[in-house]
Amino acid sequence: MTKQSQAKTIAVEGLWRNNPIFRQVLGICSTLAVTNLVLNTVVMSVALVFTLSLSAATVSVLRKFTPRNIRMMVETLVIAFYVIIVDVVLKAYWPQMSGNLGPYVGLIITNCIVMGRCEAYGNANPVGRAFLDGFFNAIGYSFVLLIIAIVRELMGMGTLLGFAVPFFSGPNWDKWIIMVMPPGAFFMLGIVTWVFRAVQIAREEKT
Amino acid sequence: MIREKRWFGVFYMFVVTAFFSTIVIGFSRFTRTRVEANKAMAFEHAVLAVLPSLFDAGADSIELHRRFAEQVGAPDASSAGAYTFEENGRVAAYALPISGQGFWAPIKSVIGIDADRKTITAIVFYEQNETPGLGAQITTTEFRKQFEGKLVSSGAMPLNFKRAGEPLGESDVHAVTGATQTSIRLEKLINAALVKWRTELGERAGEK
Repeated sequence: MTKQSQAKTIAVEGLWRNNPIFRQVLGICSTLAVTNLVLNTVVMSVALVFTLSLSAATVSVLRKFTPRNIRMMVETLVIAFYVIIVDVVLKAYWPQMSGNLGPYVGLIITNCIVMGRCEAYGNANPVGRAFLDGFFNAIGYSFVLLIIAIVRELMGMGTLLGFAVPFFSGPNWDKWIIMVMPPGAFFMLGIVTWVFRAVQIAREEKT
Repeated sequence: MIREKRWFGVFYMFVVTAFFSTIVIGFSRFTRTRVEANKAMAFEHAVLAVLPSLFDAGADSIELHRRFAEQVGAPDASSAGAYTFEENGRVAAYALPISGQGFWAPIKSVIGIDADRKTITAIVFYEQNETPGLGAQITTTEFRKQFEGKLVSSGAMPLNFKRAGEPLGESDVHAVTGATQTSIRLEKLINAALVKWRTELGERAGEK
């Protein structure tokens, strides 16, 4: 396989065929928690892209030296390292966002997607590919989260990125408070998973 | 192979941990002053915002910090823990910091009280982590505006939170709809702080 087609396979796997959210249903706690505002979701996604691609790459660098029996400890350490960096940067340069995301940045450490990619891919593949795999899985996570967040913020608060949207912020739209509450996240996640999987199955049957 | 040796795992983990921790420690030391300054600034802004004519959104942080340092009196025994703002040598307003557990995380706030020690002039929340869209509405202007001009009553509950739609007395505000837990906790911690403040002020007056 050429380098390019390899990269393409990794991208398709992470974004679509093996999407961490609607295919593997991993990392759901943060999906549910941060998607009530689009801005929070964007920042969370950036944090995850950073953490996941770099920690997968780092685990891959260390894979030749890491004894098998302690590899999970090493992976967790590496992930925690990048997450703390993100957390500190937010606290120092964007304190308001750090407050908004609360404990969820720290909880990326236990995000199953990050652990899963490090363990399943980073541990057994060269650095470049591990980085790409982490990157595309994080993007796969991010775009699904964004869809959920856009719907939730729009229907629940009538705004997008904090700006009032015509109609939805007007008197003719009765705000669906439940959409910004935790149950709203479950509904949206369920619907998104359903739609994407239905599309996947339909496409598979065609081919 | 060396990798299979038992001591190697311990040694390896030790080295890797030392390496990454060193970077993290270095990095957080590097940003520590900034993080602490951010926290202090959020508090100073809140104090300025509840005192009359001190805060304006156009001023930069340095200007605001200067105002805080020059014009706000530090809390002492006679103000019972509140920051003070003096005009012509007399206390013109108090800024009482309050904090306590909210629904998810601590809520920290500053209440502005008039020189009469009864009328609330403003309230600002500078740290909270309530549910966005629900409990977090305590930080909106609509919610905060309600407190302006309310009187700290002399009962066990200086301020009362009423359900939305219920008629309001001079010491009542409407709770946040859909955020019962946040409202209950906030009501409790505001009242606890006000009662404590009132009592301490009363004791001071009694001593005189």
